[in-house]
Amino acid sequence: MIGKGFYQTLASPWLWGVLAVAACLPLVLNSYHLHLLTLALVYVALASAWNIVGGMAGQISLAHSLFIGTGAMLSTALLLKFGINMWAGLVIAAAISGALGAMIAWIDFRFQLGHLSFVLITLAFAEMGAIIVEGWEFLGGASGLLLPRDTGDLLAFQFGGGHGAFWVMLGLAAIIVLVNVAILNAPLGYYLRTIRDNEKAAQAIGVNVLRHKITAMTISAVLTSIVGTCYVRYLTFADPYLLATPTITIEIVLFATVGGLGRPFGPALGALLLVPLGEVLRGQLGGAVPGLHYFIYGVVVIVVILATPRGLLPLAERAWRGLRRRGPEPRPASVS
Amino acid sequence: MSEFWQALAQGVLIGSTYGLLALGMGLVYGVSGIVNFAHGDFISLAMFMSLALFSAFALDPYVSALITIPVMALIGGLVYRYLLRPMAGHQFLMIVQLTLGLSLVIQNGILMVFGGQPARTPSIVESKLIILGDVVLRLPHLIAFVVAFAMAIGLYVMLRSTDFGRSIRAVHQNARAAALMGVDVGRVQVVTFAIGVGILAVAAALLLPGTPITPTQGLQYTVITLLVVVLGGMTNFVSIMLSGLVIGLSEAFGQIYVSDTLGRLVPYAIFVLIMLFRPQGLTWRTS
Repeated sequence: MIGKGFYQTLASPWLWGVLAVAACLPLVLNSYHLHLLTLALVYVALASAWNIVGGMAGQISLAHSLFIGTGAMLSTALLLKFGINMWAGLVIAAAISGALGAMIAWIDFRFQLGHLSFVLITLAFAEMGAIIVEGWEFLGGASGLLLPRDTGDLLAFQFGGGHGAFWVMLGLAAIIVLVNVAILNAPLGYYLRTIRDNEKAAQAIGVNVLRHKITAMTISAVLTSIVGTCYVRYLTFADPYLLATPTITIEIVLFATVGGLGRPFGPALGALLLVPLGEVLRGQLGGAVPGLHYFIYGVVVIVVILATPRGLLPLAERAWRGLRRRGPEPRPASVS
Repeated sequence: MSEFWQALAQGVLIGSTYGLLALGMGLVYGVSGIVNFAHGDFISLAMFMSLALFSAFALDPYVSALITIPVMALIGGLVYRYLLRPMAGHQFLMIVQLTLGLSLVIQNGILMVFGGQPARTPSIVESKLIILGDVVLRLPHLIAFVVAFAMAIGLYVMLRSTDFGRSIRAVHQNARAAALMGVDVGRVQVVTFAIGVGILAVAAALLLPGTPITPTQGLQYTVITLLVVVLGGMTNFVSIMLSGLVIGLSEAFGQIYVSDTLGRLVPYAIFVLIMLFRPQGLTWRTS
């Protein structure tokens, strides 16, 4: 069912080369740089998971903080309050996120108001989720939850601090990017792009819009929830304001947009560029001027959208193709 | 029973301000098809401007509105002209992302200047109460109600019976035809956006007395505004004001009758329910 593009990517020496080099990085980097990269990978994974709905199906979902929040807060709460193993918590949270995603997609379909309503409804749901997490002691309330120290016990969902967390996030990010490639090359990817470009026409030629929207949203929600669980294990502290408010979704949307929507590697590129930039800015300036790094994010996003509305990746691809076709850039004829 | 009347009065008063917030967004959507996700952050910006004017010159929020309204309108016009209009040819979705980016810029710009601590802007009417039988009303709420409805009626009359109002409606109905009839569509869109943002400065002044403000509040105002606009069927003035009342009332009743967390969910729940059973919102004309 999956087209040959996927297997080409899977067989590409580039992919495995990059992954192999990346996997060796913990052995050479210091802990601060490793932290930057791990964080970037978390957002690569989140932005790529979001891309399935937001990029391919063109539905700007702002509800993804619900799934991150479920993955992070619920699995933590289950461990702390009921002693449920976090692996089981991950599965439970992912199942609930998937169900939530399917429900949201169904409600959206029921509206029949197009892409705009989807943005609005998902934002309303995300706000509801934030209010519930803040107000419900079981999920940590406003003060959050603290996970036990990471001792490296794999059976208890502990990966042994910095190195382990990096490898987990690298694997997860790679899998989610590959899921993107797979979907793009599968019938589902073509259906989603048809829905994005013209939903009415898609329906008219017999595309089952509801079913594909629900499928895309469910896949995206489950993946996002899993990333949420791994992210909170890395953070150790389950902070409701970081993990369960719509702000994190907005960041993800902006990374994906800056990188290039709907492309398998676009969101990854955006996150890899912007997360370290933001963290370094925060490290350098955050103490002195709080808010500056988000401010700069915002400016970068606005500039990129105005300058190249399709994102940075298509721009880079065009430059790369241009270089390959012509060899070295021909010297422009002097005009005097 | 007194609780009921209290909730009713409070809901109507707050709801009228929500309606006013939403009118600005509905007006802009009607003319240029833009949904501005930085809407709430523009409200924040106006509120913090009032705070700055109070700190510097001890101006009451109601007085400083005379300064913030034109300044906000100017900012709105510039933002539309230089950030939003260049996107006109592209997908509508990119404008969503652009305004999300703008929201980050405004929110964190405020954070950089004012810091993250909640702040209050005092006003002379802040603590004045009006007691009608069992019902206690705060004077700022009453002022907000009167001004909001006066503004709404003023806008309505402007749209109905001035040339500029007619050109706004013409662009709303059919931008191409309006352009062919000699309406300067670009100018109408810029001015409408400026008016929409200017209205927010009024709403900010009305909301300000007695309300603590933080730089990160913008998104919540955006969400409330969106609820109201969508419920009101996006562009219909009367139903937008009506939806403002619905959201205000559900918030007030939720706070008084339901426990804290669940109470805050009531407006969203009512919104989702209404949208499920009346996807066109609270309009009676389907357009």
